[in-house]
Amino acid sequence: MSKVVGIDLGTTNSLVAYADDGRPVVVRDDNADALVPSVVSVGEDGTIYVGREAQRRLLTAPSRSVYSVKRFMGRGIEDVEHDAALLPFWVSGDRGGVVRIGIADREFTPPEISAFILRELKHRAEEHFRERGDFDFEVDRAVITVPAYFNDAQRTATRDAGRLAGLEVLRIINEPTAASLAYGLDKRNRGTIAVYDLGGGTFDISILKVEDGVFQVLSTNGDTHLGGDDIDRLLVERVLAEIAGPKEQDSTTVEAIRRAVIQAKWDLSDIEETEIRIEPSPTAHAGYRRAITRADFEDIIRPLVERTLEPCRQALADAALQPSDIDEVVLVGGSTRIPLVRRVVEELFGRKPHSDLNPDEVVALGAAVQADILVSGRREMLLLDVTPLSLGIETMGGVVSKIILRNSTIPASGREMFTTGVDSQTGVDVHVLQGERELAADCRSLAHLHLGGIPPMPAGLPRIEVRFQIDANGILSVAARELRTSIEQTIEVKPSYGLTDQEVERMLIESFEHAEADFEARLLIDARNEAEAVIAATEKVLRRPDFAALAAEQLEAGERERIDTALADLKAVIAGSDRAVIQEKTRALNHATQHLAEVTMNRTVREALAGRNVKDV
Amino acid sequence: MLECRNCGAGAPVDEHFCPQCSRILALGRHGDYFAFLGLPRKLLIDPQDLEQRLRELSRKFHPDYFYNASAAERLASLERSSYLNDAYRALKNPVSRIEHLLAIEGLPSARSEEGTAKVPPSLLEEVFALNEELDEIRELRESGEDSEKLLARLANARKPIDAKRDEHERQLQELSARWDSHLASDVAGEHAPPAEKRATLDALRERLLERNYINNLLATIEREGSGLQAMSPER
Repeated sequence: MSKVVGIDLGTTNSLVAYADDGRPVVVRDDNADALVPSVVSVGEDGTIYVGREAQRRLLTAPSRSVYSVKRFMGRGIEDVEHDAALLPFWVSGDRGGVVRIGIADREFTPPEISAFILRELKHRAEEHFRERGDFDFEVDRAVITVPAYFNDAQRTATRDAGRLAGLEVLRIINEPTAASLAYGLDKRNRGTIAVYDLGGGTFDISILKVEDGVFQVLSTNGDTHLGGDDIDRLLVERVLAEIAGPKEQDSTTVEAIRRAVIQAKWDLSDIEETEIRIEPSPTAHAGYRRAITRADFEDIIRPLVERTLEPCRQALADAALQPSDIDEVVLVGGSTRIPLVRRVVEELFGRKPHSDLNPDEVVALGAAVQADILVSGRREMLLLDVTPLSLGIETMGGVVSKIILRNSTIPASGREMFTTGVDSQTGVDVHVLQGERELAADCRSLAHLHLGGIPPMPAGLPRIEVRFQIDANGILSVAARELRTSIEQTIEVKPSYGLTDQEVERMLIESFEHAEADFEARLLIDARNEAEAVIAATEKVLRRPDFAALAAEQLEAGERERIDTALADLKAVIAGSDRAVIQEKTRALNHATQHLAEVTMNRTVREALAGRNVKDV
Repeated sequence: MLECRNCGAGAPVDEHFCPQCSRILALGRHGDYFAFLGLPRKLLIDPQDLEQRLRELSRKFHPDYFYNASAAERLASLERSSYLNDAYRALKNPVSRIEHLLAIEGLPSARSEEGTAKVPPSLLEEVFALNEELDEIRELRESGEDSEKLLARLANARKPIDAKRDEHERQLQELSARWDSHLASDVAGEHAPPAEKRATLDALRERLLERNYINNLLATIEREGSGLQAMSPER
């Protein structure tokens, strides 16, 4: 049976988890690292790098690397211009359409970039299952999490990314709700929980009631443009202002500064004072050092942290609750490690927040639990989530008529009647919006619908019922029919900030065409990694202080020379793109060092044993 | 009557699963939230019981549990879950609960536009007084009167309207209880006279129309108030 996983597709980091007999486990790499940085980089030869490698390339090839792509999902260029100013890659797109991200001569949509990250996670999980010895290790289905406050376009973009990565997206679930599911596992208790989720790019607050294993979301609120990224940007802007000069603004410098301020931010969660330190670079800048205390840091970020309070109050009001009605507060997201954030949350709810589970991993764990519920038919737990934003249609004068109110439990439906304005009219246009404001211009445009095939009748006579259905993913679908004739109407949906089905299909075909190349690229990376490991191990032995003695004692004539040659040969080909040659030279070096490895190991073991009694061994 | 699309057996309209093959039934055109939740058409309901029903039925219908089912069953699960959530939302709020009762008892909507356009007779006096006061406050504001004083006057002008609303809430409660007692006698076999039931429903509808009007008045006062607050010197 192929595998299902839960994926936290984060702004800064992404993770994959699965359920092992109902118990969720995060997939880690060989260094026990579960986080895959949500960074994608495109090499000169078109190779796609994801994760740590792509993150390293942010410093060496910033204009070919993309991070924080989640901020662009389901958005238009007019939403992201402000963000784009400090980003190393360029973004474009038509007003009122999908954002395009340009890398060298290639152009990607945000779902395509996200799909690279998802593919990496899929691959990681498959490797894990394969190494574990599972017969069928293919991962083809996933539950993917999104911020609770994501709108329809952002959710749909996430689902499209999953499809592009070759995953059947079983469900899109909300991050805070997923976290509550992970928390709810051990405790079968009841009560009212507030989940405060401040991640890399987004903020969510959800209020849930847990009873009989049903996790019912009462209300949710948030800001899809508020998170650790914004904190970093504030600090970067400070540093730039201090070292300003035209040549300092290049993207390599900005990346170096960004890395330095992030390190300082992390430090200040544990210690009271640290330093923002940028090593001088011969090409770009002269280096920079500046002491920063936790108090300085808190002064800088306080306005951002306080922006989370109003959504919290609104969520409480929508749930008709007081802060004192909350039994437990759960913290999720890396930014909740910041002491100021913890203090602010504690003040608001008047109780110490929980953070027993790793705030970086808890969302992926919850997604794995939900994936397990879906495929295994386990019924101990059930999530009842809500739609974060009201759904409406534009009526006369640009006013929005609400059809499904925010915080309605999903799935939810609504219907609205339409008619024609002139005799024999056969089509009607409907503008669908999401948001709380009165005017269509102030709400988020989701789609323009065209109802066609209305039988010709006098104006006002047709009665067209349009049914809006929000499914358990929080994603909208629309159906229409004319009630007098019962003729099902055709509906054309033109998403405002999304890809049409045809576009997704086309990208899918392209990605299959690229799949072979991508597969080759991955094998090449694997070969390079292995070569690097063998080189590192060899050089380590050569650097041993006792190597000269060891060589004199144990090595045969010409052996050292053979090793040096094999080492130089491998180093000469490692950066090339011929995988077979790299593998051949790796084998050669392995072969040349085999005897050395044996004698070194024997010596090491002897030394280790020398100082001990036999019975300790 | 519903027909099971799986085995073709007939099922009563309020059943969720086929009595014969126990598959989930397509929703059809259900219109009665009370019946769907297995409740009598009573207006005073226990919110905890309502929640309990939501949880129990969610555990039966939720799309999570139909992931491996046929397309028809998945659709039925989606429709029933949506309908359940709509029903819960409508019945949870006492006012929308009354509105739904009026709709299924065949009365015209209390939300209709013409309902809010004309002043309900019972409110004529208060509305007249309020409008005069609002006009005066606006005039004084134009002539630069201290906004603190005006805010105090506005708060005073609001009092009779607040009192009216409280009175309405009380009447709605009373009428709801009366409606429930009609139902109780129906159940006990001492059928309540249809005319009496109808009179109670009509009275409920009247109260709702007035209530909408009162809420609009209160919203007008709020708007006026925030206009004044924006002018306050300390702001």
